[in-house]
Amino acid sequence: MNLALLMPEWIVLGILIVLTVFELLLVDNEILYKRVRNIILFGGLASVALALIATSGQTGSVFNGTVIVDPFGTFFKLLFTGALAAVIQMSRSFFKMGPEKTHEFYLVLWIALAGFFLLVSSNDFLVFFLALETVTLSFYILTAYLKKDSKSIESGMKYFILGSLASAILVYGISLIYTVAGSTAFPEVRQAFTAAPQHAVLIAAACMVLAGLFFKVAAFPFQLWVPDVYEGAPSPVVAFLSVASKSAGFAALLRILWTVFPVLENQWLPVLPVIALLTLLYGNFGALVQTRLKRLMGYSSIGHAGYLLLALSVGGKAGLAALLYYLAAYAVTTLALFGVICAAEPYLKSDKIEAYRGLGKRSPFLAGVMFLALLSSAGVPPLAGFSGKFLVLLAAVQANLNWLAFIGVMAVALSLYYYLNLVRVMYFDESPREDSIPVCPATRALLTLLSAGILAAGLFLAPVLSWAENAVKYLF
Amino acid sequence: MIAFLPWIPLAAALVVLFSPAKNERLLKTITLAACSLCSLSVLVYFLNFKPEGGFQFVIARPWLPAFGIQYKSGFDGINLTLCLLHALVSLAGAFVACAPKERLKEYLFYYLVLTGGIYGVFTSLDLFFLYVFFEMTLIPLFPMIGIWGSKNKEYGAMKLTLFITTGAVLAFFGLLLFYREAGIHSFDLVQLAQVLKARGGFSTGFQHFVAPMLIVGFGVIASLWPVHSWSPIGYAAAPTAVSMLHAGVLKKMGPYLILRVAVTFLPEGVKHAAPWLSILAGIGIVYAGLAAIRQSDMKYMVGFSSVSHMGYVLLGIAAMNSVSLSGTVLLMFSHGVMAACAFAAIGFLYERTHVRNLHDFGGLAKSMPFLALSLILACLASLGLPGFSNFVSELLVFIGAWRQFPAVVIAAVFGVLITAIYLLRAVREVCYGKPNPRWAHLKDAQGFAERFPFILLLGALLIAGIWPRVLLRVIEPAVGALLS
Repeated sequence: MNLALLMPEWIVLGILIVLTVFELLLVDNEILYKRVRNIILFGGLASVALALIATSGQTGSVFNGTVIVDPFGTFFKLLFTGALAAVIQMSRSFFKMGPEKTHEFYLVLWIALAGFFLLVSSNDFLVFFLALETVTLSFYILTAYLKKDSKSIESGMKYFILGSLASAILVYGISLIYTVAGSTAFPEVRQAFTAAPQHAVLIAAACMVLAGLFFKVAAFPFQLWVPDVYEGAPSPVVAFLSVASKSAGFAALLRILWTVFPVLENQWLPVLPVIALLTLLYGNFGALVQTRLKRLMGYSSIGHAGYLLLALSVGGKAGLAALLYYLAAYAVTTLALFGVICAAEPYLKSDKIEAYRGLGKRSPFLAGVMFLALLSSAGVPPLAGFSGKFLVLLAAVQANLNWLAFIGVMAVALSLYYYLNLVRVMYFDESPREDSIPVCPATRALLTLLSAGILAAGLFLAPVLSWAENAVKYLF
Repeated sequence: MIAFLPWIPLAAALVVLFSPAKNERLLKTITLAACSLCSLSVLVYFLNFKPEGGFQFVIARPWLPAFGIQYKSGFDGINLTLCLLHALVSLAGAFVACAPKERLKEYLFYYLVLTGGIYGVFTSLDLFFLYVFFEMTLIPLFPMIGIWGSKNKEYGAMKLTLFITTGAVLAFFGLLLFYREAGIHSFDLVQLAQVLKARGGFSTGFQHFVAPMLIVGFGVIASLWPVHSWSPIGYAAAPTAVSMLHAGVLKKMGPYLILRVAVTFLPEGVKHAAPWLSILAGIGIVYAGLAAIRQSDMKYMVGFSSVSHMGYVLLGIAAMNSVSLSGTVLLMFSHGVMAACAFAAIGFLYERTHVRNLHDFGGLAKSMPFLALSLILACLASLGLPGFSNFVSELLVFIGAWRQFPAVVIAAVFGVLITAIYLLRAVREVCYGKPNPRWAHLKDAQGFAERFPFILLLGALLIAGIWPRVLLRVIEPAVGALLS
C-alpha cells in the first residue's frame, strides 16, 4: 500500500484540521482572522493543486482497493480545486456587504472538497456512499446558510428533503447489490453482474443507484429541485453546486457505468438518449420564461446536463472525452457567470433579471465578462462552450444519434434567445440607478483569468482535449 | 500574410478594448489603420492573382489533428472577388463608423470583430473554421444594432440574430453529417474535393437530404424568401456602418457558403432542389420588389430592395451553370458595393436629420450635390443601368437561367422593372422637386473623411461596370473549377 499516492488527499485533510483548530483559536480578532484564513485557504488550494500535478499520471489503489488513484480522478480533482478557489473568492465578494458571520462557511466548503476528492476516487460502494453523503450534507448546510433569508432556508429544506430521498433510494440499491454480490467492492460487484446479467434484483438495484446519481446531475425526471434550490441558495454556493456537484455526479456516473455495470450496456444505452433529450428540452424551454437570474441559471444548467447526457449516451472514448471537455468548458463559463453575479448582487440587492438593467453602464467590466460567458454558455464560437458542443454533437453524429444531435443543435438557437435577452437587459435598457459598481482587484483578477480561460479553451482545444482523452482511457 | 487577414482586425479589436475610451483619436487611428492594412493586402493579392491557377496563397496550420481540423486559408477567384468587396466596404464603413457617437470605443471594438470575422469566412478553406467565423460574425451585430440603432432596434436586433443563428445551426448539423459521410476525418475543403472526386461524390440519397438543409440554413442570411423577414427590419434598425457591411458583405456569405459547400460537394442535391430554389428566388424578387414600392421609409425600401436582389443571386445558383454562376459572383460584388453606397448615403442623411421618410426630403440635388450624386448613381446601378456591373451580372444570370427556368426569368425581368419604379421614385422625391426648407441648413459631405467612402465605392462600381472583365477574368476559371 502506497500511501504517498494520496498526497493531495492528505493535504486536504491536513488543511481541514488546521482550519478547524484555527476557527477555535482565533475568532476574536476579525481582521487578523480573515487574513490568516485567506492564507490558509488559498495556500492550501495551491499546495493541493501542486500535489495533484506532481502525482498526475500515477495509478494505484490503497486501503485494500477501496480507493483508487488514476488520471481520471485527477482530472476531476483539479477541476474541483480550481472551482473551489474561484468560489472562495466569490464568497469573499458576496459576503462583503452582508452581516452574516462566515466562520463556518469556508470550513464547510472545505469539507465538501474532501468529500469530492474521495468520491471520484472511490472503488467501493461503501466509500462511495460515505463520500457522497459528506458532500451532500455539506451542501444542505451551505444552501441554507443565509439564516435570515427565508428563501435560503426554503432552498436548503427542499434540497435536504429531495436529496435525502435520493440518497435513501441509492443506499437501498447498494444494499440490494450487497445481498446478491456479497461485497460492496466495485470489482466484485462487477463480477456478480457479469455472472448474472439478467438477475432481476441486480437490475433493480442498478436502476436505484443510477436514479440517485441522476438526481445529482439534474437529469430528467430528477431535475425538479434545481430551479428552486438555485433561486434561494447563496450565489457562491450555487456556483459550487452547479460546477463541482454536477462534475462529481458525472464522474461517479462514468466510473460506475463503465467499471461496474458495463455488462448492462444493452439495458442502459437505449434509455440514456431519451433521458438526454427530455433533459435538454426541459432545461431550454423552462429557461425561456424565467424572470430571476439564478432560476434561469438553474434551468440553463439542466440544459447543459442534457448535452452532457447526450455525450454519455454516445459512450466510447470519443463521447466520454467530449463529456470531460464539455465539463471543463462548462466549469470556466459557469464560474465566470457566477463570479459576475456574486460581485454584482450585493449592490443590486436583487436577483431579478430586471435588476441587471444598465449594468453595461454601471460596470462595463462585469457586463463584458457576463456577455462573454453568456455567449460561451450558448455555444458561440470561438469560445469554450462552442468547442464543447461541437465535440459532443460531432460524437453524437458519428455514433448515428442523428435526431438527438439535431435537437441539440436546434437547442443552441433556442438558448441564444434567453442568453441574448440578458445581454439586451444589461446593454440596451436604461437603469434607474447610474452609480457605478466597484469591483475589487481580486475579483477583477479572477474574472479576467476566467475570461481568458473561456477564450483559451475555445481557441486551443487540442491540449484540453488530449488531457480529457488521457483521463478517459482509464475507464476502459 | 493571408493567414493574418482575419487576425489583423481581431488583434486591433483587442487593442481597442484595452485602450482608454477617452482617447477617441487613438481608437479611430487603430481602426482605420487595421482596415486599410487589410484592404491594401487584399488589393495586392488581387493584382498578383493568376486566374487559371486554382487555389493560391494557400497556407495551412494544424489545429486539432485528431479531427483533421486545420487553419487553412487561400484564394480562388470566387472568394478573392468577395474579399475585394469586403476590403472596399469595410474600409468605407470604417470611415463611417468613426463618425462621432456615444460609446465609440465599444462600437469600434464590435466593428473590428465583425470585419475580422468576415475576412475569416472569405479566406478559410477549412469547413470548421468557415463555420466558426460565420457564427462569430453574427454576434457583434446584436449589440451594435441594439445599442446604436434606431426605431424598433431591440426587436430588430433579436429577430436578425435569432433568424440567422437558427439558419446557421441548421447548416451546422448538415456539416456534421457531411463530415461523417465523407469519412476521411478532414474538414479541409481542397482535400475533401479531391477525395470525393476520386470516389465519385456522395451517394444521391445523402445529397438530396443534406443539400436542402445547407441551402435553407445558409439561405437565411441570404434572405431567401420566406425567411427574409429579419432583413428589412434589421437594416432599418441598424446603424449606418452595420447596414453597409450587412447588406453589402454579410449577406453574401450565404450564397458564398452555398457555392463553396453545397454546389461543390452536393451538386446532385442542389440540382434536385434547384426548381424549388428558383421558385423561392422568383417569389422573393417580385414580392420584395412590390413591398419596396410600398415603403416610404428609405431604409426599409433599400432593405426590401436588397432582399429582391438577393433573389437574382439565388436564381443564378439554382441554374448552376458556368454563365449563371459567374453572373452570381459578379452580382454579389456589384450589389454589395451598391448597397453599401446606398446605405451610406441614407445613413448620412438620417444622422443629420433623424428623418428617413422619402416625402420629407426634396431638392437635395441642389443643396447637397455630392451626396445626391452618390445616391443617384447607387440607385441607377441598382436598377441595372448598362454601364454598371449590376447590368452585366444580371444579364449573365438571366442568360444562364433561361433554359432551365424561363418562367422565373420572366418574373425576374419583371422584377427589374419594379426596381426601376421604386428607385426612380425615390430619386425623384429625395433629390429633385421642391426643396424642403427644414433642411436648408444641411451641409453636403465635406472633407476627406466624409467623402472618401462614397468616392471609394462609386469608383469601384464604375470601374467594374465599364470593365467587368477585370473581375470576370478571375471569376470564370474558379466557377469552372467549382462545377467540374
